[in-house]
Amino acid sequence: MREIDTKQVFTKDANKTYGLMELVKGTKPTVGLQPDDMVFTWPHLLIRELVLFVVVTAFLLVSAFFFDAPLEEIANPNHPPNPAKAPWYFLGLQELVSYSAFIGGVLVPTFIVVILMLVPFIDRKKIGIGKWFAKERSFANGIFLTFLIIMLILIIVGTYFRGPNWEFVIPWETGGLH
Amino acid sequence: MKIKDELINLNQQKQKGWFKQFWSNLYRSIFRYGKIPQDAEGQSYAVFNNLFLHIHPVKVSRHSLKFSYTFGLGIIAAILFLILTFTGVWLMFYYFPSATEAYNRMLDLRSSVDFGFVLRNVHKWAAEAMVVVVILHMARVFFTGGYKPPREFNWMIGVVLLLLTLGLSFTGYLLPWDQLAFWAITVGTSIAGYAPIIGEPLRKFLLGGDTVGQEALIRFYVLHVVILPGLMVIFMAIHFWRIRKDGGLSHPSENEPTKKGNSR
Ligand code: HEM
Repeated sequence: MREIDTKQVFTKDANKTYGLMELVKGTKPTVGLQPDDMVFTWPHLLIRELVLFVVVTAFLLVSAFFFDAPLEEIANPNHPPNPAKAPWYFLGLQELVSYSAFIGGVLVPTFIVVILMLVPFIDRKKIGIGKWFAKERSFANGIFLTFLIIMLILIIVGTYFRGPNWEFVIPWETGGLH
Repeated sequence: MKIKDELINLNQQKQKGWFKQFWSNLYRSIFRYGKIPQDAEGQSYAVFNNLFLHIHPVKVSRHSLKFSYTFGLGIIAAILFLILTFTGVWLMFYYFPSATEAYNRMLDLRSSVDFGFVLRNVHKWAAEAMVVVVILHMARVFFTGGYKPPREFNWMIGVVLLLLTLGLSFTGYLLPWDQLAFWAITVGTSIAGYAPIIGEPLRKFLLGGDTVGQEALIRFYVLHVVILPGLMVIFMAIHFWRIRKDGGLSHPSENEPTKKGNSR
């Protein structure tokens, strides 16, 4: 049997085969629920952190040996590449900017940041916590998932499907991946 | 540590050589509670008495340790930041924020600095990974309802961390001073310039002029190596602190009972 640590709350009397475990206010029997499911940070959490650290470091070192970070010609203000592209995480916005500078450059980014900040104040009901894709939360999760997918699609389009003068290209037909 | 143990320890010390005794006294002066802790008391003190471990609570819930709950994404983001700080400071020994020198230093890292290419590559890939991991972490928190009360504020701190991560990545992008860097920043800052009223002043403030040049390079450099990392450390500290103050990670037991019954 696994030993349950109740030492902090009640000391155990060795002569007794029973003991007071916990006082529960409630109307339902809660048989089988332990007082808590807490374990010590040392070693349970620390060992996990250490393992993650080693794995992440090893992964980066291996990648660094096999894949070089890009480095192009020295910067030349007189020779703009066509098209000039922002870093990949801004390419979704750049894609929107190509339709409307105001929407892509101002409206959407401001909207995203403001809504993200307000998320916990819009959706406060304490249901579906602590579980991935809980049924009770499928509406909120659906909205957020849709948002992520739209951003992803815009970024993919901006990265691979935009050629000179920001015109639509099919990457595997023109050959050049950017 | 119980007094009895302490006495036994003292007795043993009398029989040790002077060096061993010095060593054990030194060790004890740093780590008061002995070697690898075995019992509950020692395990508590190991965390409690150590500045670096003390950012953790003494105990955590099993639920929060399940890999499939967090996928370790928050920790991975923190680890990546640590690696980026380490490699970034190392890179500073070789880098020079000048429009005529910066690019040469990139070439040096490839050719004349021992393992310079590894150093730069690790920094670059860790930076890309951090952007991805932080976004995935945000998604994890959302899909598990981790932002609900009492964690509203920590979610907002998280949004700031996301913006800082993007800011660090973006400012770092210019530093190699190659075509990629130059034009990406030209495009990126022009997007900022579209905002009404504040857009153009903001762009000029970032660039220190009308176009990307030496002034922009030094501004991005200072933002990248001092200001943004400093803010990142402060906000991460608040983030971690709040996780503890909010009672650890979100847990199914926090759900309010619904009409159908307790939804544990
Ligand atoms: C530099 C970036 C970040 C770092 C290093 C970081 C680190 C962490 C860590 C280590 C945890 C513990 C649980 C876990 O590993 O998942 C955590 C939890 C949390 N993070 Fe982050 N985080 C970052 C960004 C964000 C962002 C962008 C958001 C949201 C917009 C966010 C919101 C939260 C919340 C609400 C929790 C508590 C979740 C729960 O109780 O289930 N964090 N963070």
